[in-house]
This record gives sequence, structure tokens and C-alpha cells, in this order.
Amino acid sequence: MSDNTLHVRAVPARPSNRLPYALAIAIFLLLPWLPINGFFIFLAQTFFYTAIAVTGLNLLLGLSGQMSIGQAGFYALGAYGSALTSLKLGWPVPLSITFGVLIAALGGGLVGVFALRTRGLYLAMTTLAVGYILDIVGQRWISLTGGAMGLSGVPSLDLGFPKMSATVFFYVSGGSLILVQLLADFINQSRLGRNLRAIRESEVFAASVGVDVSSWKAAIFAFAAALAGLGGAFFAHQSGFVGSDAFSVRLSISFLIATVVGGLGTKTGPLLGTLILLAIVEVIAGIDKYGLLIYGAILLIVLLAFPKGAAGVIGSLAQRFKGGSTAGAGAIDRSDKGIPETSALAGLPTSHTSALPVQQTALTSLSVQSISKSYSGLKAVDQVSVEVMPNTIHGLIGPNGAGKSTIINMIAGIYRADEGSIHLGDLDLSSLDIAKRANLGLARTFQNLQLIEGVSVLDNVLLGIAHKHSYSSDFVTWISGGELEGDERKEAFAILEFFGLAQFADRLPTQLPYGTRKLIELARAIAQRPKMLLLDEPIAGMNTQEAKAIAQVIIKLRAHGITILLVEHNMEFVMSVCDTISVLNFGKLIACGTPAEIQNNPEVIEAYLGTGAKK
Amino acid sequence: MELGNLIQVLSGGLAMGAIYVLVALGLYITHLTTHRVNFGQGDFLMVGAFLLLLFRKLDIPLGLAVVAVLVILAVMGWLLDRVAIRPLDRKKDTLIGAYSWMLTTAGVALILQNVIELGFGKTSQYSAPLFSSKRDEVVQVLGAGLFLEEILVIVAAVLIVGLFYGFMFHSRWGKAIQAVAFNPEAAMLLGIHTNRVKVGVFVIASILAAVAGVLIGPIVTINPQMGLVLTIKALIVAAIGGFANPVGILIGGILFGVFESISNYVDSGFGDLYPLLAALVIIAIKPSGLFSERSADVR
Repeated sequence: MSDNTLHVRAVPARPSNRLPYALAIAIFLLLPWLPINGFFIFLAQTFFYTAIAVTGLNLLLGLSGQMSIGQAGFYALGAYGSALTSLKLGWPVPLSITFGVLIAALGGGLVGVFALRTRGLYLAMTTLAVGYILDIVGQRWISLTGGAMGLSGVPSLDLGFPKMSATVFFYVSGGSLILVQLLADFINQSRLGRNLRAIRESEVFAASVGVDVSSWKAAIFAFAAALAGLGGAFFAHQSGFVGSDAFSVRLSISFLIATVVGGLGTKTGPLLGTLILLAIVEVIAGIDKYGLLIYGAILLIVLLAFPKGAAGVIGSLAQRFKGGSTAGAGAIDRSDKGIPETSALAGLPTSHTSALPVQQTALTSLSVQSISKSYSGLKAVDQVSVEVMPNTIHGLIGPNGAGKSTIINMIAGIYRADEGSIHLGDLDLSSLDIAKRANLGLARTFQNLQLIEGVSVLDNVLLGIAHKHSYSSDFVTWISGGELEGDERKEAFAILEFFGLAQFADRLPTQLPYGTRKLIELARAIAQRPKMLLLDEPIAGMNTQEAKAIAQVIIKLRAHGITILLVEHNMEFVMSVCDTISVLNFGKLIACGTPAEIQNNPEVIEAYLGTGAKK
Repeated sequence: MELGNLIQVLSGGLAMGAIYVLVALGLYITHLTTHRVNFGQGDFLMVGAFLLLLFRKLDIPLGLAVVAVLVILAVMGWLLDRVAIRPLDRKKDTLIGAYSWMLTTAGVALILQNVIELGFGKTSQYSAPLFSSKRDEVVQVLGAGLFLEEILVIVAAVLIVGLFYGFMFHSRWGKAIQAVAFNPEAAMLLGIHTNRVKVGVFVIASILAAVAGVLIGPIVTINPQMGLVLTIKALIVAAIGGFANPVGILIGGILFGVFESISNYVDSGFGDLYPLLAALVIIAIKPSGLFSERSADVR
């Protein structure tokens, strides 16, 4: 790190992993020339194209959390797409493979359209049904696919070297796997992976940091399907025969087994999982009678006993081994003593002197005009107007069920208002979706705290930071060994320093106390460079000391030009922090004014203490 | 299509639709309370059908055989929850966490399919008729020859669906299930044994699969691979009903069965795929299902 004169601690560097690539490529180049059995070359080819399909599923399920039990369908689309165009239309094999991949991607994109509106069980069901339908079509459309009797004589992939076709196929499929693995690693480490992980965590959360969830879901579906299609296309050209028996739901289950057994969401998981899967397939070949039983038993054993898969098992073994020799050397220290006893907030007011790297110059107001919302006849919010002046802190208070959360959610775009309008400065937000509102400068924190659990604190803050380069230039930086998102990381680190969180930059949020996680969430919201910040119960669950620290942070944020609207139950906090306050009761606005005015308003006192209470 | 043919096609569709409803209600009741379903629900049905076949080959009287099938499947439902679903609650924080149950229940389904294949072979088999003396006994209705078995299957399914509704909405147990579905913690505070309800729904779902397995025997041929497609169709029928509305599932299942029967009649090659595609389109356009709006009234 060259710039650590500025910082007390350096921005944590990303681990470099070029050695495994170099090693893999060396072995890969040598292998066909070693005096080994042709059967092993065949197995290696099978490993390459199967791993490609499994890698796609790992990105889909492991990173973005979208279930697919129908990957065999896209694999079949790739296989038939390439086999038919090369066999019947005489297309050159590289072109036919490309076509197969495109057809599969198209199919995946179509299913992605289902994924836009459904998730979880519905998505699993849809992909299962689509896979089944494609399987049946392959079986029964005999004039096109040949059904179970299949298509034979599919041209081999020899690139003009017919005598060396096995070696050529080995290099092309293996080279493709290396490229796919590089791409998958890039996705894993870059902003792409971060956004996908945010979607897995919660779609509303992802949208509220400005991610266009629909496009991302459709894209990851299409990409995973394209990789399945590439695997299928290679399969079609490996032995020159494509029969419909290959594409049953059993294959989809096989891909899932490989993904889960290898280690879901890990970088090496798909490779390990494919190895294990092929070993299972080889074993089963002798005792095919028990094939399904073995598959089923493996699913049960892995999910019940080793849900983190082979990569997880190896990882924890390695950690135990390391822990013996060099304690705490790993970037992520899971030992108990690593977890701080008190939260970062305790020392906050004095520890940081650095200014926030985010300064809003264009001060913005928020104007909510007579919005209403009903839930099946019940009016939760009735004609409420709230004006938040530029560069002020406005509090929204009221007893439980007064409609505060509904209003915050209408401002953020999670619920649509039945009537009324919402303006941020001059911009009318009323008809925009969550992500657009976020990108216009509306950031928020959540009542129940939203962070990506599986990535570091720094990466969580990076989620909010605007992307400075294109993905392709990021990729070039990454592949040439440069520091990925260097500027963004510095900015994120500076924000962590402002919040006194710099020492936790490379920790996982789950290792930190609740109060600190709340602060990380606030740091992430600030990273979005908001004009307007919505805080939903910012000090819920905190002790008095932490609450005081948060109050000082919020006042500091106002000094940086950010307009703030907050919902909070703690009156002392609200009265000390807010410039103006709106009070709600039963969905109606009952008072609005300065803290002093609100404290003396008889209607407010009645709402909180009940009718007939004496002052 | 002649009237006679039409009536035959309708009766076949109604019978299959009734089966789908029974299987889908099993998915509905577990989804309501646990947000999980058995991805081997169709395989449980298949096991039920084969067990009945076995018991009747052993000359066990029909009534006793049916009771035995129901009891065995009930135990299987309990085991499924104990072995493949409940233990996952402790592993929620893993990446696969939210989806583990899909894969473990599918794993159980694969095992069951394999076991039945080992015991009965992979080929399709005929199951003996339940109600009539021979398999293709025909009764004349409006000039159409209808299979007696089909009509009686429809009648039996309607009765069982009626029983199910009575159980769900008028019995103490049914109310406990509704309470757990609405809010497990609150139900626990009211003295309902939430965990017992959660395993109970899987037992009920398995019994429904067993009933469907008993009824389906005489109207189709049975084979060990039949489970998957029944699971898919039942899932889709449940989704048309929004997974929340048993009346929607009843209507959806019957429409699905009739549509399938007609499209099979029109296109014998791909006829069974059209209703699946149509249902997928419906779910894409209206993810909450065709009848989900009524869920508030039903509750």
C-alpha cells in the first residue's frame, strides 16, 4: 500500500490467487502429451464441460440465491442447438456451438422473466417444469431430435485437425473452462458478485441500494443457462451422439449435487463438486440399479451433515491446520477472542478526526403531499403531508400502528401510495421504483438491519459506492493483476474511518456486535452519497451510550449537507436530535413543529398517555 | 367431437383432476404452516399405489389393505419430517439453507423410486379395480360408455376433499393448523403444540398422497417413475390456487385435469404439455395464482 500515510490502517488488500491458475494451465497444456490412457483424456473432457455447467449453476444458486432444478433443459438446448445446426445445416462447429449457447441463453432469459416475479418455491417449481417439458420435447419430437435413438454422426470439434480431434477437443473444452473459471472468479470478487449477493440477501434491500433487481435476475439466469448450454454443446460434439435420455431431471439433480457437494457459492466448489460427481457416476456405472438410491443418499448426507460442501470442509481443515502454527494470521479470524467485547461506538466521538469524504453541496428537501395507503379497507395512512426542509433532521413519531413504517416504505418506494405525491427537491418520485429513487439520492437503513452477511464490512460499504469504471475495464485491471476497484475501496475505507470502523474493515458483519452492525449499515447508506437519508429506528436495541454516539453521528451528517428523516421510539433521542417533528396517530397527522412545540402539544400528550390522563 | 366422446373425455379429465387436487392439497397444507413442501409428494403417491398392488397380490382384503397403505404412508410422512426436514432448522445460516428442504425431500423421492424399482421392476403395471369386478366395466351415460372406476374415483375424491375441508375449517385440529399458519409464536402462546402441528401436516399430506395412490391405481398404469410428473402437476395446481386457497386448488385441479384430457384427445403426441405451458404462463402473469384473492375470505 502506497497511500497509508493518510490512514492509520491500510485498506485491506484482496488476496492474489494467480499461482493456482498458472499451475492449472501448465498441467492442462502438458496432459495430452503424457503417455496416459485415452479414457482419461475422455474423462478430463467430460470434467471440463460438466464443470462449465456446474459453475453456471453455482453463480445462479450460490451467489444470487435463485433456485433452478431445470438446468438439464438448457444443457439440452445447447446440445441440440449445436448438434442440429452442424449436422443438418453443415455449420462449422465453432459457429454451431455459439448458436447452441445463444439458444440456451435465450431459454434461460425467458425463465428469468418468471424469476422476475416469483422466487423460492415458485421458481424451483417453474424451472423443474421447464426442464421436464424440454426433456419430453426432446424425447418425443423424433423427426427433429431422433428421440432416445438419438442423433449420431454429429461432427467432431477438430478445427481442421481430424487426426487429433481428441486433443483439440481437450484443449478447446479445457480452455473454455479456464475462461469460465476466470469469469466466475471475477464475478465473485467484483461489484457483479456484490450486487448478486445483495439480491440473495433481500430483493428490497438490493433495490434500495440502487440495484435494478429485475435486469440482474434475468441476466444471471441467462448467463447460467448459457454456461449450461456451452456444457451441453461440448457434450454433443464429444462422442458425436446425442440421445434424449441424457437430459432427464436426473441430470439437473446431478448438477445440483455437484454444486452443493463441492461447496455452494465458493470459488473452487464447482470444480471439486464436478470431480466428486464424476467419481460417483463412474462408481454407479457398475451398479446402475442403485444409482438413484446413491444420488438420493448423497443429497441427504451432504445437506444434513456437510451443508458447506467439500470446499467448506477443506477450508475449515486448512484453518485448523493454520491456527496451530500461526494464530490469527488469516484475514478472517473466527476465534472468539477476535470479537470485540464492546461495540465500536463507545470510542466513536473522539476517535475520528477525518472528515467524511462525502459532502453534499446541492441541499435537498423532501415533500410528501397528502399521501394515503389502505390495506384491504383499513386506512393505515390517511392524507398525511410531511415537509422536510433542506439540511434538517426531521423526526416521525407516533404510537405503534400509527403508520410510520408505511410512510417510510412509501417514500422509499416499497409500497405505492394510493394517492398523493412525493417529491425529492424538484423531482417527482411518486411513480418511480425503489432502485430509481435510490439512484436519485435517497438512501435508507432498515428497522431489522440489512447487510450482506457473507462478505466483509468493507465490501458491504462498497455496495453503496458508485461504480467509477466500466465492468470491462475492471476486468482488464483484475486480470492484469491490478487492484480491483482501488479508488472505490479507498473511498469506502475513508467512510469506515469516519465512523470509527476502520479496524473492522476485513471482518464479517456476523462477527460484530449489533450496535456496530447498525453503524456499518449507516456507513453503507452514506456511501451511496445520499441527498436524503431515511433512518428506520436508528437506535433500536442500543444502549444509552451507543445511542448518544449515533446522535452525534447523525448531527455530523447534517453538517455534511444531508437531509434526514428518521422514525424512532426513543423520545429523548428524537427531541435532542431533530429540528422538526411530525406526530402520527391512527394514520393521521396530529401535530407538526419544533421539539418544544411538540412536547407541549395537548393532542400529542393525549395520543401517548391516553385519554383522561393528567398532566 | 361427438357428445359421447366429449363425455368420456370429461370423465377421464375429472378423474385425473380429482387426483391432482388430492396431491396438491397435501402440498398446500404443509406450505401453509411450514412454507415447505415435499418434492417427493408424487413419489409418495407412487409408493402408496405399489403398496396396495402388493397387498392385494397377497390376498389381503381390500379394506384392510387400504388401511395398511394409509398407516404406512402416515409413518413415512412423519419420518420425512424427522429425517429430511426438521434437522435442517439448525442449519439455516448456510448458503443453501433456504432451499435445503427441496433437495432433501427430492433425495428421499429418488431413494423411494429406486427401492420400488428394485422390488417391482421398472415396467408399468396394472392395478386391480377397487369398486367393480373387472377393470374396464362400463356404464352407459347419455349414450357414452364410461368406466365405472373413473366415476367412482371422482365420487370418492369429492368425498375426501369434502372431509378435508370439514377437517380444515371446522375441527379443532384444523383450527390449530390455521393458527400456526398465521403466526407460529402466537399459536404457541395459545397453547398449541406448534411442533406437533408442523409434523402433523406432513403426516396429513402423506395420507392424502396415499389416498390418491389408492385411487389412481385402477385408472392408469402405475410405474416407479410416475412420481416426478405428478409432483410437477400438483405443484402447478397448487400454484394456480396461490398455495393459499383450497377452493382455488379444487377449481384449478379440475380445470387442469379436464384441459389435459381434452388436449390429449386432440394431440396425442404433446397433449400433456399444453396444460403445463398454459399454467406456467398464468403463473408468470399472475404469480399469486388465479384464486389467491379469496384466501382472506377462506381464512
